[in-house]
Amino acid sequence: MSLQLVFDALALGGIYAVAALGIALIFGVMRLVNFAHGQFIACAVFALIVPSTDALAVLGLGALPAPVLVPLILLIGAGLAVLAEALVFRPMRNASPVALMVGSFALGVALQNLLLALYGGRPKAVSLWAELGQPVQIASASVPLLQLIVIAAVAVILAGLALMLRKSRLGLEMRAAAEDFTMARMLGVRSNRVISGAFALSGGLAAVVALVLVAQTGVADVRMGGQIMLVAFIATVVGGMGSLSGAVAAGLGIGAASALLQAGLPADARPFRDAFLYGGVILVLLFRPQGLFAPVGAKPRV
Amino acid sequence: MTSQHRIRRRMTATTPVVLSLLLLLFVLAALSLGDRAMARMAAETLIRVTFVVGFWVFVGNSGVVSFGHAAFGCIGAYVSAWLTLRPEMKATLLPGLPEVIAAADWHVLPAAVAGGGVAALVALLTGAAILRLSGIAASIATFAFLAMVNTIWANWTSVTGGTSSVVGLERYVTPWVALGWAVAAILVAALHAASASGLALRAAREDEVAAAASGIDRYRHRLLAYTLSAFFCGSGGALMGHFIGVINPDGFYLGLTFLMLAMVVIGGVGSLSGAVVGVLALSIAVEGLVRLEKGISVGAVTFALPPGSQEIILAVAMILILIFRPAGLMAGREVMLPARWVAGRASRET
Amino acid sequence: MKGLFRPILALAALSAPAFAEDDLTIGFAIAKSGWMEAYDTPAATAAMIRIEEINAAGGLLGRQIRVVEADTRTDRAESAKAGLDVLDQGAEMMVVSCDYDFGAPAALVAEGEGMNSFFLCAEDAKAGIQGVGPNSFSSSVLAPVQGATMAEWAHARREARTAYVLEDTFIEYNKGICTGFNWMFPQLEGAQIVGSDTFKNDDASIASQITRIKELPDQPDVIMLCSVMPGAAAAVRQLRAAGINSLILNGSAVDGSYWLEATPDLSGFVVPVQGSIYGDDPRPEVEAFNKAYEAKTGSRPASQYAYPGYVLIDLWAKAVERAGTVDGAAVTAELEKMRDEPTAFGPRSFTADLHHQNTALMQIIEITGGKPARADEWRVSQPVPLDVLMKK
Repeated sequence: MSLQLVFDALALGGIYAVAALGIALIFGVMRLVNFAHGQFIACAVFALIVPSTDALAVLGLGALPAPVLVPLILLIGAGLAVLAEALVFRPMRNASPVALMVGSFALGVALQNLLLALYGGRPKAVSLWAELGQPVQIASASVPLLQLIVIAAVAVILAGLALMLRKSRLGLEMRAAAEDFTMARMLGVRSNRVISGAFALSGGLAAVVALVLVAQTGVADVRMGGQIMLVAFIATVVGGMGSLSGAVAAGLGIGAASALLQAGLPADARPFRDAFLYGGVILVLLFRPQGLFAPVGAKPRV
Repeated sequence: MTSQHRIRRRMTATTPVVLSLLLLLFVLAALSLGDRAMARMAAETLIRVTFVVGFWVFVGNSGVVSFGHAAFGCIGAYVSAWLTLRPEMKATLLPGLPEVIAAADWHVLPAAVAGGGVAALVALLTGAAILRLSGIAASIATFAFLAMVNTIWANWTSVTGGTSSVVGLERYVTPWVALGWAVAAILVAALHAASASGLALRAAREDEVAAAASGIDRYRHRLLAYTLSAFFCGSGGALMGHFIGVINPDGFYLGLTFLMLAMVVIGGVGSLSGAVVGVLALSIAVEGLVRLEKGISVGAVTFALPPGSQEIILAVAMILILIFRPAGLMAGREVMLPARWVAGRASRET
Repeated sequence: MKGLFRPILALAALSAPAFAEDDLTIGFAIAKSGWMEAYDTPAATAAMIRIEEINAAGGLLGRQIRVVEADTRTDRAESAKAGLDVLDQGAEMMVVSCDYDFGAPAALVAEGEGMNSFFLCAEDAKAGIQGVGPNSFSSSVLAPVQGATMAEWAHARREARTAYVLEDTFIEYNKGICTGFNWMFPQLEGAQIVGSDTFKNDDASIASQITRIKELPDQPDVIMLCSVMPGAAAAVRQLRAAGINSLILNGSAVDGSYWLEATPDLSGFVVPVQGSIYGDDPRPEVEAFNKAYEAKTGSRPASQYAYPGYVLIDLWAKAVERAGTVDGAAVTAELEKMRDEPTAFGPRSFTADLHHQNTALMQIIEITGGKPARADEWRVSQPVPLDVLMKK
């Protein structure tokens, strides 16, 4: 495997890993498969061109210097997710997981159509950090600077999150809640705080995906984020529901598998890439029904 | 004097009858309003009833969320198109079809049944693997199955036409045809739910361990329900194709998947009546909002919602229903005739 | 969005006034909501401009043209309903959604009534006799013609001898562009397609596809990119970021300057179009239309896809005048007699075999330093054969 391929696989896998982490965090604490996550990503993308709604997009917030812009967009993503939790998911907390999922889907539809009504169906150009496109030579591989930043950013985020989950009180509570929510509540874990915290982190991660996507593609489109959300959802299950590190590993794995299939398949089979990919997912599940990195608590009773 | 238990059983038996009458009433009401768009809406709603009742046979009884049933609709629609399109049309649009199918010129009814049959066969084969999984893993596997079918259909151009819509399907689906299929689906779903297999499956849904201890082979019952439900989703897909006249793999993907899920959950996944009521409620709500978007004239003033607001209002309404009635509109109950009615004419009913 | 709302309001205002009994009615079953709206509204607005011109000049067959509309909501089932709706409002000819997939259900309704239907800008041969039926037309230029135009022009004017084909499998239009290119380019002297690859419009990264191009012993002279927004803009940004500087060829769908910010200072990017929106079209009629469009909506067309709307009303009205009736079969017969019928955007032909343009004079727009400008014009030396169009 060439070094170039490693970088290509890491770049795609890194995006999926961050998105999968966003899904897994929420699933862990409240068994909710959040189908609105893709729209959280899209909203964070469109936040860059607020307040302009012209056909020719003008960077609004996006024109701010990066040290201000990045935290601001992360805050917007987190705020949106926390708001969604307070307005939609908190009142539904006693509903079944399926009802929760349909609720999240309805939320996604509402957000997407809201963006569509505000911005129209024509994609918009967002020139964010175009200078990051410069290729950099590393040994035999030529990698755009952005790709390196993505990989580094993913690594930093994962490390930071792992540290937070292990060291901080909120992190401890979240891990406890992900293991066994009822038990954790009985032992004094403040459920509202934990759930709001999980949503805030998840929304922040959605914003990270949004920034990476925009920097990579240079466009804002209302349908953005949907495909990534689905892959992330699959990665969460393949990784083992409730296992955060499993979700990250599976996200990386699916991204890498996709890049490898694209590179390895003969030309005629390449349009069927995703069919091979999803076939692989089914196979993995058949051999490891609990996911690759199932947490101890996920074992069924029989 | 009839025993309490027998009265319950007779009441249960009236559910499909009441539901069918409800649908008949719906068709008559829609047709009496007279405009053609309303008749179209009625037919589309009843096709969705076929789809969603089929979907419910598996999801409602097994408790496993399936994301894969839109794929069965896709398979059914294309099988029916392959069998009924004029051979010369197929030679230009779908040159890769095998000789036998390319020459086929079937009547629409057997083609719709074949569409359901092929979908059921695919369900049997894929279900044999997927249904060994439990809970969310099975759900994800069905989703992966949907994505596979979609990718293959969108790219196997010589046989499916790829991303280009297949056009020229005979548009024979009137509200009456759709009503026939919807009633058939409801009857079969009710029979299945009342059968030993249906009961066993629901028992396993409620308590997996207890059911296994009572000797219930959950896998076998799940596979049966999956196959049966794929049949009606396949036929529903065939109907949808012959209703619009144009089919495209994209029409049987995530949009349809979530529409079916939303209808079942809004109506209440716990009962067959919930599935039917969910379809009616959402379809009528959509139609009403679409008409509001077109504008309602009151005297000299026309009120109209801005374009695109229908989706937003509907989504918000769905969330509100889920908040205030988390078990759906029917909350697991079935519509049935009251006890004194069935007890009175017990001798004639059974 | 302001620019998008205005034409809708204009359309609504036009359909509102009271009408006389003998008005001639055209039904627009088009997307007024959902993502197709962005593509249907400009073309429908252009159609309205031509309708207003005809009405101002005394109408068609002595009758004023009235417009009725229904929203397809970018949904196939709703499209069929919208078709019935405009029929119930008295439509005698139907204009349907731009895209073949979303327009066909409504067009089939028109076909069932023996009425003419025109796609606003469909570029798939099936949006006509081969799919919808004998009375269905589109005035746009077939996707394979756009691909073939790019192949021949690049070979003749830019000495392109090696080409790489990058196909986005998202929609049929993309595949049509590549079909035309793959048919034409290898026929040309000394020309060779050195590789091809596919991607999906919503792929988050096309790094592996780029690696495959970079691994070629020599970089290709041209890259044929068969894609639409937003995937096309994303692909271009990633190609250029990776240091691939080959000339990039495209179909008409990526015309417009609204996305150029995605790759600042983009150069060496070529699009074939039916007319230039940039004010430099050599034909004065095109610029006159751009001005009329601006006067009506407050902004110039965002892409060339407004033009087919104007052309379709123009051609249909001519055929109606000649037939002396709006009856579908009679108008179809007149339309099928058209050979290089002049329009503001170049000559158009229809035959009994094809209700589309299998050859057309196209303007070549080249983007240099982030600025689009007309560079040339080109007409393919031979029409794209029907077998290629139908991918036999």
